[in-house]
Amino acid sequence: MKISEVVNKTGLEALTSWDDEELTGVYISDMVSDIITGATGCGLLLTLQTHKSLIAAANLVDVGAVVFARDKRPAADVVELAEKAGIALFSTPVDTWSYAAKLFELGMR
Amino acid sequence: MSTCAHSWSMTGIRSGYLVVEGCYHCGARSSFFSTEPVAPVDEYREGAHFWEHLAGYQAVTFDLRCDSCGETIDLSDMMGLMLSTCDDPGCEVGRLSLELGKKTSIYVALCADSSHAGGACVSDAGVKALTEYFNQRLHSRRRSIVVVPCKMCDRIDRCTGIVIADTGLTDFY
Repeated sequence: MKISEVVNKTGLEALTSWDDEELTGVYISDMVSDIITGATGCGLLLTLQTHKSLIAAANLVDVGAVVFARDKRPAADVVELAEKAGIALFSTPVDTWSYAAKLFELGMR
Repeated sequence: MSTCAHSWSMTGIRSGYLVVEGCYHCGARSSFFSTEPVAPVDEYREGAHFWEHLAGYQAVTFDLRCDSCGETIDLSDMMGLMLSTCDDPGCEVGRLSLELGKKTSIYVALCADSSHAGGACVSDAGVKALTEYFNQRLHSRRRSIVVVPCKMCDRIDRCTGIVIADTGLTDFY
């Protein structure tokens, strides 16, 4: 599923510029050590973690887009790092479970 | 020498704590991976060093195994990975970053002894396999990843970068 479809159908707010890449799956985690062992390339990462370390991990495993739940917003230097790495950042006001349910209803697995 | 075009997978994933200690006598830094239920915070003497606990992070370690030929690379000498942001032409990692450009991300594989007093660091085979593994995981972008050993940094304690660590999760307030 394209990022644009996820953005439009789940009401995401973009925090960075983004390319309309194909998302291959979803991974949910708030631990960077878990992300590097579990997240898949070109997937959507759903998290509450807004630390710079998250971008370093997401870049390493080629995460396609990061969605911050509960309206979490990373600091400006984190957004800048994501822009440099070409990682799209989004925010949703809903909690992790509710957003995961939205993705499931869209057909993402 | 193997002729296999390795196809790496993570294996032996172990959860635990990365414990960082410092010697208050000489200023040396040391780290180790602990699988104990609670990360150790003891102070102790070891030879000329007086080690005290500096930090503990929830972490994982892993090895790499080739799905084609079965070769396994032991990465127990790697304590973590750091996304380098160094652009210092006086540092070999910084020079490499300037040479490779923005499409390449450089990750520094961190060993246990940042002073490299014993001469050891993350193995060449480990660094090579890590580079191959993370590039094999790339799908979308026209970019690449290079992993280098921390002994390549001019001074690892001053090297700029972002360590992939779950900072703060084991702190007590």
